[in-house]
Amino acid sequence: MPLRSDATRWSTVAKTFHWTMALLILGNGAFAFWMDGLKPSLNKINMFALHKSIGLTVLALFLLRVLWRFADRRPPHTPGPRWQMVAMHAVHALLYVLIVALPLTGWAFNSAHGYPLQYFRQFNLPAIVGHDEGLANVLIEVHEYLFWFLLLLLVPHVGGALKHHIVDRDDTLRRMLPFGRAKRSTPTPPGDSA
Amino acid sequence: MNPILRRLSILGLALAVPFAATATDYKVGPGSTLGFSGKFQGQQFDGTFGKFDAAISYDPANLATAKFDVTVDVATAKTGDGDRDNALPTPDFFDASKFPKAHYVTTGFTRDAKGGVVANGNLTLHGVTKPLALKVAFKPAAGGANLSVTGTLKRLDFGVGSGEYKDTGTIADEVLVNGTLNLLPK
Repeated sequence: MPLRSDATRWSTVAKTFHWTMALLILGNGAFAFWMDGLKPSLNKINMFALHKSIGLTVLALFLLRVLWRFADRRPPHTPGPRWQMVAMHAVHALLYVLIVALPLTGWAFNSAHGYPLQYFRQFNLPAIVGHDEGLANVLIEVHEYLFWFLLLLLVPHVGGALKHHIVDRDDTLRRMLPFGRAKRSTPTPPGDSA
Repeated sequence: MNPILRRLSILGLALAVPFAATATDYKVGPGSTLGFSGKFQGQQFDGTFGKFDAAISYDPANLATAKFDVTVDVATAKTGDGDRDNALPTPDFFDASKFPKAHYVTTGFTRDAKGGVVANGNLTLHGVTKPLALKVAFKPAAGGANLSVTGTLKRLDFGVGSGEYKDTGTIADEVLVNGTLNLLPK
């Protein structure tokens, strides 16, 4: 279990960040649609509090993940046509933006509505915008649409990984899988498959 | 006047005169507020009652004659959050249709260790009567007096918050009550 990434695979730390956050973000999204349908009750309030705490966890993990990326190496990009490289970088950049924007718009909505923000019943976090119902109504829409946008971005993100795995038969996906091991020691350029 | 009646009237005067001379009777003037502060998800919220009335008899020099009698329309609680304000009068909290009024009557006044005045009394809220002590600050003012009171109660003592709303992890048990009254002579 390498702590740091090498030329053939992502480190355990990088994998843990990737899959934990994937699970938390998608799980929290699905959870949000479920809790939204609950009838008004204290349970509903507590479920919203849980959703917020998970979102804040994602935000904190993102900050740690970025710090880790500065400290760690990464396996080289699997070479590909220029448009694919551009698309890959754009999708990754947008995913990173959304990972930050989703919790922040949620936090801003919470503040604009005047709700408290308590992290797993441990401590409270301050409001980041002033009380403004009109702004709150806009922010909750943005918050939801950003999640749909994130799901849309998973089409090229997951699709690309599967294409590498199934069509190109390279290690792009395998090197990020939780218990995956690279079959080849170096990425294979396209058209060079043995 | 027959002797018994005369004796009674003298007795009545003897009782009435000191009261009239010492305790001063007040009513609630404009600008008075009666409110409470609770804690929800670790954050304080403040509420006020839109409608309440109080009969105050108070003379700092003669606390034995002082008396507070306060009636509050619990359905008029406003806390600055629509969802919460809609929830408060329901059977989950005040159950205002069944218990529309809260009532506080003093039973006596004492002084605490620092010499501050404490009103001891009974609060009836949500159909439950429990003792409630209030710290009293009284200041004569032009044309009346300013009275401020603060105290702390436990909402669950009065059954405010039923079923899942008994959860004090989300809604704290302790509630601060406060009043700032501009008193006018009765």
